Amino acid sequence: MHRGKGMKFVGDSRIPAERKPNIPKDYSEYPGKTEAFWPNFLLREWMVGAVFLVGFLCLTVAHPAPLERMADPTDSGYIPLPDWYFLFLYQLLKYEFASGPYTVIGAVVIPGIAFGALLLAPWLDQGPERRPIRRPIASSIMLLAVASVIFLTWESVDQHDWEAAAQQGAIVDFEVDEESYAFEIWTTQQNCINCHGGDMLGGAAAPAVFESDYSKEEVIDIIKNGAPGMPADQFEGTDEELEILAAFIANDGQDPEDD
Amino acid sequence: MSEKEHKVSRRQFLSYCLMGVGGFMAAAAVTPMARFALDPALEAGGESDYVSVASVDDLTEEPKRFDFKVTVEDAWYESEQSRTAWIYREGNEIIALSPVCTHLGCTVNWDANEDHPNQFYCPCHHGRFEKSGKNIANTPPTRPLDVYDMEVRDGTVYLGRTIQR
Amino acid sequence: MLQKIYDWIDERLDITPMWRDIADHEVPEHVNPAHHFSAFVYCFGGLTFFVTVIQILSGMFLTMYYVPDIIHAYESVYFLQNEVTHGVIVRGMHHWGASLVIVMMFLHTLRVFFTGSYKKPRELNWVVGVLIFFVMLGLGFTGYLLPWDMKAYFATVVGLEIAESAPVIGGFAKALLAGGEIIGAQTLTRFFAIHVFFLPGALLGLLGAHFYMIRKQGISGPL
Repeated sequence: MHRGKGMKFVGDSRIPAERKPNIPKDYSEYPGKTEAFWPNFLLREWMVGAVFLVGFLCLTVAHPAPLERMADPTDSGYIPLPDWYFLFLYQLLKYEFASGPYTVIGAVVIPGIAFGALLLAPWLDQGPERRPIRRPIASSIMLLAVASVIFLTWESVDQHDWEAAAQQGAIVDFEVDEESYAFEIWTTQQNCINCHGGDMLGGAAAPAVFESDYSKEEVIDIIKNGAPGMPADQFEGTDEELEILAAFIANDGQDPEDD
Repeated sequence: MSEKEHKVSRRQFLSYCLMGVGGFMAAAAVTPMARFALDPALEAGGESDYVSVASVDDLTEEPKRFDFKVTVEDAWYESEQSRTAWIYREGNEIIALSPVCTHLGCTVNWDANEDHPNQFYCPCHHGRFEKSGKNIANTPPTRPLDVYDMEVRDGTVYLGRTIQR
Repeated sequence: MLQKIYDWIDERLDITPMWRDIADHEVPEHVNPAHHFSAFVYCFGGLTFFVTVIQILSGMFLTMYYVPDIIHAYESVYFLQNEVTHGVIVRGMHHWGASLVIVMMFLHTLRVFFTGSYKKPRELNWVVGVLIFFVMLGLGFTGYLLPWDMKAYFATVVGLEIAESAPVIGGFAKALLAGGEIIGAQTLTRFFAIHVFFLPGALLGLLGAHFYMIRKQGISGPL
């Protein structure tokens, strides 16, 4: 390469006037079956990438990203769950040695040691040997860590009540006629409101009253005799009022006469 | 004079100056931003606002239900939320309990179940609490009802935030 | 025509050396699945990067509709998913891509670990890689809140409670992340800023360092 005195530049810039030829390296320079990155290897990679992308797009069309109802900070009955890749940490905090007074162990000490060791792996495992079998300690610790992450995630998924959570999070789309006499009856029923909320759309411990498609008679039966998770005989009022309210509930929040 | 005769060479001196000026620029630019970002954390833990809820004369040995409204201030949003408290007096002491069941957040009622008189009863999963708010063993709740931070001024009960026990 | 444009730029900026440097680096036999099928494990890093590019692109487009405000955030996400044409795909790409990045990065990390590729002289690149891992987890955590639906809100409540349990700095860390005592308006704007500006900025810097070191040192040799 030409350097120093006598060098020519493009105009008054620092770009050398002499053009370098744009030719790839000779393939025979590479040892064995080594390939050039561009275009040979990149083409293979992009072919894999294209297949991958098609699968990925199919996934997004087949499974739209979930969206639950809008956050309601006052709904303390909701069973919270972090995104799946944090489940192992979440699960860890459920065990006795890592909860209550020992939360620090589960929340800070164990993850701190695990991720700290991951970060500092090159200095913890300094031997020159690279084959996993020749460095059994490092390999087995890693296998153990992976196994426990998988186990904890599995346990967490297994213990979560997915159906209840889906119901709690479902988007509620009922229009309640708050002017009606039936709604007025509802506002006097403190026992009902405690769980199903003042707006009838679900609350601390129970879903919206319109959630299931029951007939008026079934609604009356449930209010009188209870249902799984719902106590019996909480309604305080006359049978007539009960009937009006049940009709209102069975009709998804509108007075039946309005139809 | 060659540079070697000095303890600090010209080049070193200029480098130090460069570091100093650079450090000043970075610090001066970042300081306001850092304080800006840290503000909520440093301002946190302010006093709780007390809301007048009931007159002392209205209180009895029996827990009574009082509804009141609190203003919740979330940065540029203010909203009114209704709260409930069960308040009773024991001698000279006044106790205000939160009605939120510590099991799953339902609302408890005083003396609401015929089988368990003089207890707080939660209809959702039959959780029960003693008058003091202590959870009764072998019912779902695992800790006592929260109490309200409380102040009595001029014969009026003021409630603040709830405190976990 | 293209050649003329190239020559015109090359004359002024001398880009041929840079271009040949990128194009001509060799790919040894032992990482090429065409020669040994088991070498597909070397693809995970590249796929992680590919999904990251998708994440950046889809994220940029999502902000055209998204509003980081507790009243409107949910509505805007609902709107862009249900009312905007292809909204379900764009949000789906960002949502599922977030999971895929984590999966691919996890596999890539395991490959590097079990081939012992983090050993001298590549220690620094491993450290940068683990930092990228942390940044990605941070992106996942902050991004999860943004739709402001039930699961987003309560997952964040739990996450911040975990942060709060740290000794000494716990309460401060929680207040700093949540932007106050309530998880509300300020938490959302904070998480939005972290998710969209701070962490991606850090990510791009770290990725640059990661790739620079790979090119400088070359890929680790066969076992």
